[in-house]
Amino acid sequence: MTEKSDRCMSCGVTLIGPVGARFPCPNCGEIILRCSRCRKQSNPYTCPNCGFLGP
Amino acid sequence: MIKPSEEYETLIPIDEYLAAGIHIGTQQKTKSMKDYIYRVRTDGLYVLDVQATDKRVRLAAKFLAKYDPSKILVVSARQYGQRPATMFSKSVGAKAIVGRFIPNTLTNPDFYDYVEPDVVVVTDPSGDSQAINEAIDVGIPVVALCDTNNLTSNVDLVIPTNNKGRKALTLIYWLLAKEILKERGEEDRFRYSVSDFEMEF
Repeated sequence: MTEKSDRCMSCGVTLIGPVGARFPCPNCGEIILRCSRCRKQSNPYTCPNCGFLGP
Repeated sequence: MIKPSEEYETLIPIDEYLAAGIHIGTQQKTKSMKDYIYRVRTDGLYVLDVQATDKRVRLAAKFLAKYDPSKILVVSARQYGQRPATMFSKSVGAKAIVGRFIPNTLTNPDFYDYVEPDVVVVTDPSGDSQAINEAIDVGIPVVALCDTNNLTSNVDLVIPTNNKGRKALTLIYWLLAKEILKERGEEDRFRYSVSDFEMEF
């Protein structure tokens, strides 16, 4: 059994340590993770639960 | 791309949005804001989609209502946004930093005015860049009021609006405060009119 790792919602990179941002989806409240690079490049993210497209 | 439709019901009448100049953009546009632009006027001014603004205000209110009010930080270096930001913080119970954002406010625990928010709301991503940079360091989400010429780097939720006009900033902060209290079920606590939020000369 492997533990599910935290992944960026935009690029899928594994997030280790306090990098990027973690916040609830503005629409449904599902936790969204964004890596610092995707935040900087303003890459769009999609909520896996409701399909909300941000930023 | 968000297109206007006649069935959609806005929070306030569209005429009020237009009277406040929420839709007035700038003569520059950025790639990150192109989805929120409705059209370009003959004088080269980009016009924002009012429905997109309305939808984002609802979403931002829903988002901010999930946080403890005392953990919300509102920042406005822009003069016309200072009173709306202060009134917004007063009505929802958040903290406001207006005027100069002293560096290390979010990162240095020894600083006398140190705050540890869970979310930051900025009036202008370019003017309030110090607050955004510190929010990146501490890893908290950023909600920003963005005009057509703003970049959305390091912004987690964009509210497309005119962030330069006095009336536009007043209306957007008033609406946001009202909607947050509505989401929390404390609508009757909100007794302010739009003019209470307006910056005086």
